[in-house]
Amino acid sequence: MSAEFDVEFIERDDRSARFLVRGLTPAFANGIRRAMIADVPTLSIDTVRFIENSSVMFDEMIALRLGLIPLTTPLADYEIGETVTVALDVEGPATAYSGDLTTSDGLVEPADKNIPIIKLNQGQRLEFEADAVLDRGKEHAKHQGGVSVGYRHLQRVEVIGDRGEFDEEEPHILRGVIETEDGELVATDEFDNDLTNRYPGKEVSVTDVPGAFVFHVETDGSLSVEELVDRAAESIGDRAAELKDAVSV
Amino acid sequence: MELRVIDKTDDELRLEIAGEDHTFMNVLKGVLLELEAVSAATYDVNPEQSGGQTDPVLSIKTAGGADPLDVLADAADRVEGQTDAFRDAFAAAA
Amino acid sequence: MSYKCSRCKRDVELDEYGGVRCPYCGHRVLLKERARDIKEVDVK
Repeated sequence: MSAEFDVEFIERDDRSARFLVRGLTPAFANGIRRAMIADVPTLSIDTVRFIENSSVMFDEMIALRLGLIPLTTPLADYEIGETVTVALDVEGPATAYSGDLTTSDGLVEPADKNIPIIKLNQGQRLEFEADAVLDRGKEHAKHQGGVSVGYRHLQRVEVIGDRGEFDEEEPHILRGVIETEDGELVATDEFDNDLTNRYPGKEVSVTDVPGAFVFHVETDGSLSVEELVDRAAESIGDRAAELKDAVSV
Repeated sequence: MELRVIDKTDDELRLEIAGEDHTFMNVLKGVLLELEAVSAATYDVNPEQSGGQTDPVLSIKTAGGADPLDVLADAADRVEGQTDAFRDAFAAAA
Repeated sequence: MSYKCSRCKRDVELDEYGGVRCPYCGHRVLLKERARDIKEVDVK
C-alpha cells in the first residue's frame, strides 16, 4: 500500500508514552485517537449484587465507585459483553480498597490496589458480588482505556539569524516536541517550554511538519499503551475489512 | 455494519452506514478523496437535521466512468492496508 | 416488615392493628431495617 509510516518513541512509561508518527494524514491520526478513546473496550464492573452493606453510603453510590475502578483487561480472552465475576468482603473498622477485590480470572485484577472504596467503622460491613463486563468507551466512560489521548504536530525549529541587538527578549513558549535542524527530537519541557532558553539571542522560525504527529497516550492501567494503540488501529482496520466485504459481494 | 443504499447511479452513490461515526467515516472519506476516480466524496451524520437520523450517509461521485461501489471497495481496502502498515510500523518501534 | 425500636433496640414486627409502637417498651420511634435479601444494582 502507498502508506509509509515511521514510528519513533520519545518518552515511555508504564502507563504513558509519547511517540512520533510520520506519514499520517490528519484524518487517520484523528481516527486512531478517537478509536483509542471510544472504541477499544475494557472491563468494568457493571452489575453489583449487595449481600451486605451496612456502610454509611447507599448501594448505588458504592456501585458507581466500583464501576470507575480500572481492571486489567486481557483482550485476547474476552469478547464484548462477556463478564468476569468480582467479589469483595470487608468488615470494619477498616477501609475497603480496590486491592481487596477478588476476581474469577487471575488475569483480571484492579489496575491500582490503593483506590479507597469506602471507610468502614466498627460493626460495618461491605460484602458483594459483581459482574465486570467488557464494553467500549462509547457506551460508558468507565470503559475508556485511554484517559488522556491526543496529538500535536511535530514542529520544526530553524535558526534564521541573530536577534536584533535592541529587540526585547520575549519568551517564545512552545509545547509538544520539536525537531531541530540536525533532526534531533526534543520534548519542549526539556527547555522549560521556552525556545529562548534553548536558542538564546537567536531568531528562530517554527513550522509544522506535514504528516508528522506526536501522540501522547496515557491509559488507566487496564491496557498497556502499546496494546491500546494497536487495538485502536485494528478496530479501524476491521471496520474497513467489513465494509470491503459488504460492498464487493 | 449495516449498509443501506439510498441512491445509486452510474457515477453517484448515497449510502447509509449504520453504527459508524466520525472515527471511521472521516478516515474513509479522507482516503476516498485521494483516489483518482473520485471527483467528490463526503459524509453527513445528521442529514438536513433529519430528526433522529444519526447514522452517517456517505456520498460519492466518481469521474472517468468508475463504478462508485468499486471505488468504495478500493478505498476500504486502502484503509485496511494503512491500518496494517501502521500497526507494523508501531510494533517495530515498540 | 421488620423494624427496630430506637430505644430498646429490639426487633419489632408491625401488624395492621397494633399501631406504631414497640410492644416491649412502648416507644413510638421505630427504625426500618434493611431487607436481608440480595439487592442487585446496575452501575450506570
